[in-house]
Amino acid sequence: MKALLPRSLMGQMLLAVAVALLFVQSLSAFLVYSAQRDSYETGMLNVAAFRIVMETRGREALRGADRPERAPFGGPRPRGFPLETTSSAPNTANEKRDGHAESKLAQILGEQSLKVERIVIVHRRLGDDKRASERFLRHARHHEMPREQMDEILGNHLIVVGVQLEGQDQWLVTRVLSPRAMNLLLYPLIFQTLGIYAVLMAAVTFILRRMTRPLAALTRRVEDFAVARDLDGQIPVSGPEDMQRLILAHNAMETRIVDLLDEKDVMLGAIGHDLKTPLAALRVRIESVEDDIERARMATTIEDIVRTLDDILSLARVGRPSDPLERTELSALVVSVVEEYEDMGEPVELGETCRMALELRPTWLRRALRNLIGNALRYGHTARVSLGKDGGQAVIVIEDDGPGIPDGSIESMMNPFTRGDPSRNSATGGAGLGLALARAIADQHGGSLTLANRHSAEGRIEGLSARLTIPLG
Amino acid sequence: MNDTAPVRLLLVDDEAALREPLGEYLSRQGFTVIQASSAAEARTFLRDHKADLVLLDIMMPGEDGLSFCRHLVEAQDLPVIFLTARGEATDRIVGLEIGADDYVVKPFEPRELVARIRSVLRRAARGVPAAPENEAFLFEGWTLDPLKRRLTDADGAVVAISSVEFRLLMAFLEHPRQVLDRDRLLDMVQGREAHLFDRAVDNQVSRLRRKIEVDSRNPQLIQTVWGGGYMLAADVKRVALEDE
Repeated sequence: MKALLPRSLMGQMLLAVAVALLFVQSLSAFLVYSAQRDSYETGMLNVAAFRIVMETRGREALRGADRPERAPFGGPRPRGFPLETTSSAPNTANEKRDGHAESKLAQILGEQSLKVERIVIVHRRLGDDKRASERFLRHARHHEMPREQMDEILGNHLIVVGVQLEGQDQWLVTRVLSPRAMNLLLYPLIFQTLGIYAVLMAAVTFILRRMTRPLAALTRRVEDFAVARDLDGQIPVSGPEDMQRLILAHNAMETRIVDLLDEKDVMLGAIGHDLKTPLAALRVRIESVEDDIERARMATTIEDIVRTLDDILSLARVGRPSDPLERTELSALVVSVVEEYEDMGEPVELGETCRMALELRPTWLRRALRNLIGNALRYGHTARVSLGKDGGQAVIVIEDDGPGIPDGSIESMMNPFTRGDPSRNSATGGAGLGLALARAIADQHGGSLTLANRHSAEGRIEGLSARLTIPLG
Repeated sequence: MNDTAPVRLLLVDDEAALREPLGEYLSRQGFTVIQASSAAEARTFLRDHKADLVLLDIMMPGEDGLSFCRHLVEAQDLPVIFLTARGEATDRIVGLEIGADDYVVKPFEPRELVARIRSVLRRAARGVPAAPENEAFLFEGWTLDPLKRRLTDADGAVVAISSVEFRLLMAFLEHPRQVLDRDRLLDMVQGREAHLFDRAVDNQVSRLRRKIEVDSRNPQLIQTVWGGGYMLAADVKRVALEDE
């Protein structure tokens, strides 16, 4: 059931309005119908009352005072069925009496000061009433009525009214032919209700669409902006005024965010420049240190500072790279990074690779690979690098034979300034930015970086495996 | 290079903190160093004096290093080495495109700077064009843009090569279908990373094959010539590059 409910604003509002409107309109239609039906019924009863009054008081009773005595009553004889006088009530034993109509008729006759002992009103099909149907069939034969029309009329609704006047044994029975109130009243009412319903729903749908369309565009824009972080493709202001203000406010916020990011980039550039120049000066000055060992140590320290500075600056810039994507042959890139380490005499092994061209940022990806291989060498003493394809993704795997990472802390290893070695002893090197940067670079390429321990057959940890994936094409 | 007269270096950097110790260091290395704190000051000096090479900071107040470099290369035909604090690839390429001969990223190792100064001066003395010409080499579907050191395959994907591999490939492309023996290759490829190249030519050739051969165990492009050396078995076309 829950799955069938609409999730969108448009769907939910349409459903709510449709249900509420249906309920309210049904209620109102029902009230209108019962009021109309009531007055229609009263009209029919008045016809019956008229006949009874006329019969009991005689036609003279209706003659106006200005008319001469015995003058014709005027107008044609009432159509329908003549009044019948019977010795018993007109209803059969299992017929349902219409108590509501009976009390109403009693009131009408009372107003005519006709003393009535008992009233019986029942509803029948014309065809079910013996006397009425006999009379109708005679009439129909006389006029050679077609069969279908006869059947239709035989199905008509007949009100049979029996009245026993006060002090009399006999019943006066009158019959009034009345088309079912339903046909007359209900169908136009339903038609009208549905018409209003359709017009209202169309109006609501129109307004909702005007609201939800810019909303959907705004949602798409927010998603795009989260990735691209630039002002290209800002959405134009449209929709109702509330929506327009939301879009305006959103665009203003985007501009502000981009300004902040620009400011950040400028600031980082300035920090980089302002720190690297004195570091360069320092690097020149240490050349005058006589002691070779001491000078080499100083140079290493400066290199460490520079590397950390570069990592911090890169981490801050990685989400907003200024260099464009470039179609690059990935295996050559992986191989060339591995060869850099080979040249330094590091134990890096190259496993299987295969050629594939991808859109990527080579400078950044090199950096991620260097960080991962560097970690493997630092903590695992060896590194095995391989490149393959797996389900639409390029997969670079870097394995080491080190102690791995305790399962609970794998995720936190990816956070900046977290290192495998809790002592933060600088002999193991780095500021703990390598993995954070590698993961951010994987994200930048729409891919991912996952770390997992490698287990031997006995379940012992054999080393760590870093898996960097990038979507192909 | 003339060994009798000292080489005159014009050092242009707005940061006195770097300029002064660097000037002293270079003087100790046997160069005559003239210091300038801005492009304007350097221009004034060059009006009346001569320099053999300019060391130029990119980010300076007033006229920046890139614009001054353009002037130096076009008007004075002076070799230029950039000193840059920025390390991004795009800056490097821009620097080389406007005619700088080399660059070092701050903070650089002073000895490396000296090595590069000597290498640029050597090239200038030999009359080798300071910057590679703006043309590309086409061979067997591959394209090498020497300026950007960019090798692309038939599908236009960039194939990463190291600077040694780049020079090795350039040597082959400049002498297609010629047998180049190991000594000759070593001579042509000898560069500032010479210490990396000690690992023998064969090793570098096999690395280059790994990147450009369809099957590096059965090489077709760079063939081994028995007893001789290596040969590029492809025709090479030079095509002028449009400025991007």
